[in-house]
Amino acid sequence: PVDTRDATQARLRSLPAPITDVSRLCVCDLLVAQCDTNCCCDPDCSAQDFGLFTACSVPVVTGDSRLCSQKAAVYSLDVEANPPERIFKLIDQVNPSIFCIHATNYKQALYLKSPEIPTAENFDQLLDKFGGATFSAELDSWNLDTDAQNPPDANETSRYEYGVPVQTEDAFLRLPSPVVSSWCSDANPAGFLVNQATKCIRSVSVEKCDSVQALSMLFYINSSILASVFQVNITVQSIAVQSLNGTRSLVSSSDVLRLPMVLDELCINAVLGVNYHITYTDTGEIIGAAAAFVLGAISKEALSIEQSFEISFTQENTQPVPLSGNPGYVVGLPVRAGFQPQGYPFPAAFLFAALALSSNKHRQLTILQSTSSQDCLAAQGARAPVLFGYNMISGCKLRITAAMQCQPLAQTLLDVLKGQSFPEYVASFGNSQAQDVLDWVPITQLHISEQMISGTLQSSCQIPVSLGIEVKWTKYGSLVNPQARIVNVTATITTSTLKQLASGRERIIPITSSVVFTDISSPAEPSYKAWPTINIKLPFDFFYPFV
Amino acid sequence: LFSPWKGRTSEILSSLPLHILLYVNGIYYIFYFLATLAMIIYKSQVFSYPDDLLAPDLAVLFLMAILEVPRLYLGFKGNLTEAEAPLGLSLGLTVGSVVLCVYQLLWQTYVLQADVLLNAVLLSAYGLESGLKVTAIAAFVS
Repeated sequence: PVDTRDATQARLRSLPAPITDVSRLCVCDLLVAQCDTNCCCDPDCSAQDFGLFTACSVPVVTGDSRLCSQKAAVYSLDVEANPPERIFKLIDQVNPSIFCIHATNYKQALYLKSPEIPTAENFDQLLDKFGGATFSAELDSWNLDTDAQNPPDANETSRYEYGVPVQTEDAFLRLPSPVVSSWCSDANPAGFLVNQATKCIRSVSVEKCDSVQALSMLFYINSSILASVFQVNITVQSIAVQSLNGTRSLVSSSDVLRLPMVLDELCINAVLGVNYHITYTDTGEIIGAAAAFVLGAISKEALSIEQSFEISFTQENTQPVPLSGNPGYVVGLPVRAGFQPQGYPFPAAFLFAALALSSNKHRQLTILQSTSSQDCLAAQGARAPVLFGYNMISGCKLRITAAMQCQPLAQTLLDVLKGQSFPEYVASFGNSQAQDVLDWVPITQLHISEQMISGTLQSSCQIPVSLGIEVKWTKYGSLVNPQARIVNVTATITTSTLKQLASGRERIIPITSSVVFTDISSPAEPSYKAWPTINIKLPFDFFYPFV
Repeated sequence: LFSPWKGRTSEILSSLPLHILLYVNGIYYIFYFLATLAMIIYKSQVFSYPDDLLAPDLAVLFLMAILEVPRLYLGFKGNLTEAEAPLGLSLGLTVGSVVLCVYQLLWQTYVLQADVLLNAVLLSAYGLESGLKVTAIAAFVS
């Protein structure tokens, strides 16, 4: 049995022998047991198939053309005959050049090299050679260079780059997250500047309450983050206790560590959620870390609990505003919008910040969200944020009865289309700060009346039937990394006349709202560095004493 | 009149054809060496020529060149002085050159058509030379 296994292994370890006979070689024969079209060398083709061909895709099969004399298989179609038939000829091809290869003692010269089959012995060596992005003959020298850069750890941890795992004393700052299944895996490192929020399930039991590490606060604040030359301890920002029915209450003394313990058949002080807030400088150094906990109680019957984890990074001395891009807008992130305070531009710009960023729903440009009931009047308040780059259209149906009054109806529809607080300004860049007033683009509002299109002016009641927001954006910046910048936002309200209905009758009219993003980038202009000029200036007294 | 040839036969044993052949061989060898070196450079650029195969080919070529110089010198000297020893030594070196020439013809990494022509001509020259040397040695000895 051992011998046969070695034999099979030896067979597996070598590739099948390459075919070198030109009469048996056919590169266009791709389908097994089927005739390939226009493949004259395919052995699966019958005479009827040849009759349907128009040309031979592979007319000649030869070896290396530089050989002085070699066999060549020539395939051609005889279109004169009826039906057309394939002609196969084996000829001797002669290379007339005086530098043709008469003979060669180096077998691999004329054939492709057979690759080495990886085995247990040579796997590491093959991985070293071919495992990287480049196959370099000087691979050893590269390895030496990277090894030389690894020792200075202080330089590495002082500056973090986007996505690099945040290092702590023992390993990395862990953010448990579901991997493959929904069960928590503690091996997920948190990446610098990568804001993440994960939820996962952990299996628990009340008996092992105080022994399971992942339920205790200490597990999450134990290690300190390595940053520049000192270590940053994770402080406890706040503790919220969640009761069994779900209500949460903040605990006043958040510096006392609450460890899980068994009390009355319940496991209290078990960690249900952690929210990390990391503060960093603009050079990429971490200067502060705080964790906000949600502790809860696990009852005896519970076999698993859901834990939620979040990490967010804030630059020091800035407001934690979610950016939609840095600096250009990123496709898919919400378009940021805001309001101008009273008395702009003279009062201080910080008022702008306070008003614009005061509440979540005022921060974004929103559009009517279609609901399943499709009734405009019933689904008031459902808004969807406008995401940059995504053209959206939504709508609802308005049922008009004879009893409806025009003016209130028009106002209601305007609210439905524009929402409670339609912003006045849209951020030009994804990271526009509220203080920079020039970075905000005003929304131009247009009114179009359908009656004007038809030519006749009627002063009867007009109700808005559609809102179209057109966002014009351009590519800004360098050619290799263009950033999206919003240049113009126009909101067009189209109104139409409400015709009086006979009593008892009703009409259904569609109300639509849409957002369209148009790219108005002008073609890129390459700019070149100015030619260096020779700056020669003679000193003032060069011609002394003649001048 | 003082005649240095009195009392001696005026027969010159030095072989004129051998002298001519050696002379032509010298000129031809210079051309052969440069041509083969150029072709090895051409082959290394155009074909896949790993270093461990290039080294023996170059070594053989330079060894042949090193052998050729004493071989021709001894041939000339032996022929002109009508001495068998240098001629015999030259014959021995010719055998070495023939072996190296056969290597170039058959066992080189890439044997081009031009290689075949050059080496065939050189081999035939060596063969003819060897024949003439043997005849000359026989003439000198007897």
